[in-house]
Amino acid sequence: MRADDHRDWKLSLGAYALGDLPADERAAISAHLEGCAECRAELRELEGVAALLPLADPARIEQPTVRPPADLGARIEAQIAAESSREGRERRRRRVRLWVGGAAATAAVAAILALVVLPVGGENSPAQQVRFASVPNGVSIHATLEPHAFGTEIHMYVKGVRSGTLCRVFLKDDSGRTYPAGSFRYRWGDDSEAELSSALDLSQAAALGVHAGGRTFVAPISSATALAGGAGIDLT
Amino acid sequence: MTGMTRERDVREAYAAHSGELYGFAVRSLGDAGLAEEAVQETFLRAWKAGERFDPEIGSLRTWLFAILRNVVIDLGRARASRPRVAEGGVEPSVEPLEQALLAWQVEEAMRRIGEDHRRVLLETHFRARPYSEVAAELGVPEGTIKSRVYYGLKALRVALEEMGYEG
Repeated sequence: MRADDHRDWKLSLGAYALGDLPADERAAISAHLEGCAECRAELRELEGVAALLPLADPARIEQPTVRPPADLGARIEAQIAAESSREGRERRRRRVRLWVGGAAATAAVAAILALVVLPVGGENSPAQQVRFASVPNGVSIHATLEPHAFGTEIHMYVKGVRSGTLCRVFLKDDSGRTYPAGSFRYRWGDDSEAELSSALDLSQAAALGVHAGGRTFVAPISSATALAGGAGIDLT
Repeated sequence: MTGMTRERDVREAYAAHSGELYGFAVRSLGDAGLAEEAVQETFLRAWKAGERFDPEIGSLRTWLFAILRNVVIDLGRARASRPRVAEGGVEPSVEPLEQALLAWQVEEAMRRIGEDHRRVLLETHFRARPYSEVAAELGVPEGTIKSRVYYGLKALRVALEEMGYEG
């Protein structure tokens, strides 16, 4: 067999694999294949591809390749960033919930249900920072309050409180009425945070309080003049 | 990339694979809006399960397509349980999903090979026109058509392998 013949046979293998050759040519190539291992191996590969062609729709082949919208990547990144930050908050919340009392846990469940069931309302007002000024040396308490449809979400940060101290948190409205926001107890070290919730709407909250270690600390929410109403931490 | 746990990993994966994922999603869902939703959900699931991705087992591309496949099934189920609202919308593909993926890969591979090869394969194979007729139309010898069919199939195989085909 001449090298040129072999090359000619080989170039016909595509048409052979697709069944496009007339009978005489097909028979001639079949005869060549009997004695040519290289062409047989080549044919096997081509037949694998040829077998897939019937799956394709020629009309679709001729359509241009579709491209995702230019902003889809940015939307996905934004969604993942939001999920990432939400999951971080959830992790912190779960950590603290291990130690909160039954009342707070119930409140948290109620808060979640309210989030799901109730229409979103009162969420346009911004989060409020609250700092407790009248605390013992070495103790630092501050909180961020977020308005929600169910009431107020309280992110509380406490430093310098003795490990194991029970802290009961509440909000007060203008009339001095108290709204419990649950309790928590620090088990690890003296620096911790907690996520709590109260039914009182943030717009009506005058003060945040913590009762801890037998003392009550109260900080105003919107202005110093609201201190009289008081919100407290109860350290027992 | 060893996993997909960081937001930067997602960005890189999106840059490398979103085009193909979206192309397949459009083909199987028949709707650009649903396809966007599917791609978005795919990357979100991939990010959430990022630690489970193991490059020793398979490529990131294969893993993403496996996730997309599940997302497409879920979206298909959700749509089947909703009343039809889209008048004049494209009917969703009725092919089994694995076959739809393979069909899309072949179509995409056909788009990726050279214009000369694609044209000859389209005319001779898909439109069943005689080689002599296509040769006359293109002003080339019939032997050239035959060799273009041969090189076209070989190029198609390479393009399919680039897309993860291992047959």
